[in-house]
Amino acid sequence: MSANDYPIFRRLTRMNMLASTLALVVACTAFLAYDVFLFREGLLRNLNVQAQIIGSNSVSALTFNDPKSAQSTLSALSLSSNIISAGISTPDGQRFAHYSRTGGAELVQVPALAAGNDEAHWFGLNEVVVVHTIVFQGANVGTVYIQSDLNRFYARVWQYVLILALILFASLFAARFISAYFGKAVAQPIAALSETAQTVSRQKNYSIRVMDSGAGGEVSVLIRAFNEMLEQIQRRDDELQGARVGLEKRVEERTRQLVAANRELEAFSYSVSHDLRNPLETISGFSYLLLQEYGDKLGPAGKANLQEVNDATKRMAQLIDDLLALAHASSTAMHREKVDLTQMTKSIKSELQRRQPERDVSFVISECVSAEGDSSLLRVVMENLLNNAWKYTSGREKGRIEFGCKQESGTTVYYVRDNGAGFDPENIDRLFKPFQRLHSKSEFPGTGVGLATVQRIIHRHGGEIWAEAKVGEGAAFYFILQPELAARQWA
Amino acid sequence: MSIARAQHCRTLLFVALAASVSFSFAQTKVTEYQVKAAYLYNFGKFVNWPDTQANRPIFNICILGQDPFGADLDGVLTNATIGGKRASPKRITDTSAAQGCQIVFISSSESGKLDRILPALDKLHALTVSDMPRFLDHNGMIQFVMDSGRVRFEVNLAAADTAGLGFSSQLLKVASSVKRSEKKGE
Repeated sequence: MSANDYPIFRRLTRMNMLASTLALVVACTAFLAYDVFLFREGLLRNLNVQAQIIGSNSVSALTFNDPKSAQSTLSALSLSSNIISAGISTPDGQRFAHYSRTGGAELVQVPALAAGNDEAHWFGLNEVVVVHTIVFQGANVGTVYIQSDLNRFYARVWQYVLILALILFASLFAARFISAYFGKAVAQPIAALSETAQTVSRQKNYSIRVMDSGAGGEVSVLIRAFNEMLEQIQRRDDELQGARVGLEKRVEERTRQLVAANRELEAFSYSVSHDLRNPLETISGFSYLLLQEYGDKLGPAGKANLQEVNDATKRMAQLIDDLLALAHASSTAMHREKVDLTQMTKSIKSELQRRQPERDVSFVISECVSAEGDSSLLRVVMENLLNNAWKYTSGREKGRIEFGCKQESGTTVYYVRDNGAGFDPENIDRLFKPFQRLHSKSEFPGTGVGLATVQRIIHRHGGEIWAEAKVGEGAAFYFILQPELAARQWA
Repeated sequence: MSIARAQHCRTLLFVALAASVSFSFAQTKVTEYQVKAAYLYNFGKFVNWPDTQANRPIFNICILGQDPFGADLDGVLTNATIGGKRASPKRITDTSAAQGCQIVFISSSESGKLDRILPALDKLHALTVSDMPRFLDHNGMIQFVMDSGRVRFEVNLAAADTAGLGFSSQLLKVASSVKRSEKKGE
């Protein structure tokens, strides 16, 4: 990379050249002005002396009215090639004698000099005129003028301009060379610095360092500071990286702990539920025996009490079953497959109708509704939702249960709708919490675990479930399944 | 040559007048003797006198014999100075009265007595001027001549030399002819 490719170098060179040009022009102009001044003064002095000599040599000619004598005095001016014309006039302004370089009769109109003024001069564009009064023994005996061209003057000026141009050219040449020599020393480190800065910012590589070429001065300070800055950034970057890795590790650790704790909890609740079954079956079995064998001795009140015990045991057994189902729903391994929900709904419907053939419930089931997910878990979902619908339509003379799906912004929304008891929409947020029930046990029996289980399963399928209802006008449950979002769930 | 600058402004005015008068003599009504009177006065500026004469306080311009100038000379010399001295006209009838005259104009009425007058004036170191013919041949110093209507003058250097007078080269330059000492050659 040549020094010329650095913008800073070009700028420095331009600056140098401009500064030297300016300095030279100013200096040369000053010299020129001074010389012009001196030359002008010299020219004037010369003309004045010539005018004086001619004047004093013409005194007698004027006094004794001898123009020829004055003429011969004037003709001596032919030796000075710069003199265009000269003339002598009498004090009253009459032309007395005259000289012209070309021999012609060009006359200069000489204005009268102010009183007390022995001499005057004025400059034209191409000429200078000097006028002198001729004084002899205190008396003004006439006036002499000399008109000179300014050829030598202009030649001088031209010479100066030429020299100025030459010096200027030479100095610019020199300035360029000097700039090339010193500018490189200044520009190269700065250009290297800026290049490195660009590389660092482009590659985000903070381990790069700028080499200090030993330029010294501010550039070295700049390079050192830049390197220090890079070092600080690098250190901070490392720290940040370390912190992030640590954080990730901690999150992973915590997640693992959480998952383990959850497993333990589920295993615990599973075993508790499971272990609760044995004593419950004992209670149930023995209360049954008690009723069979000693029912006569207990009397009607005792029988009723025992029946209560029996009912309670049954409920508890149901509760334990539900809890086990919930635990199962949370922890069982899932297998992704295509599930025919229509077929599933139909089979559940048959089961329900077989259980309570006396009820008049009409089913509206869309055909060919299928989904992706774990078939046994989805069956739990459908059983729960349909059981609920069956249960809450029990108060209706003609129950109606619908199952189907619709497309909403590219997603399949499944629904189970009934015309049952419904519920107060204000309590909708309590709906999916375990053991929370919106209806009294006497009204509709249940454990309050079913919808919690359903929600757990839907969530495990990456989906959502929500409900719409009005008291006395039925309820509708909607859910979506996004198995592709639940990638980690699949076995 | 004593070129002391005179301080009298009038002199300036007068010389200007004299010069212009002399220049335009041919065209205007300036008379011959007015020009001659001015020349007479101007000669005083281009001639060096020996110290004895130069030391006098008054510069006398004398007319010997019949006066052809009338009032012209008095007019010229009014308030005039030569070399810082007041110039004054003086009319004399004999050389015996010429003591103190720097310039003596010898009227043509005296042409018969020239051989006696001129040596006497030489001794007094007076500049002798006349307009009579052949004046220079009698060792007169300056003689007016008429040259196509213009007043000019001839100079006899040898005669001036004899009387101890020096002529300025400027005067010789404008003289119509100069008669030099035979010893020194023409």
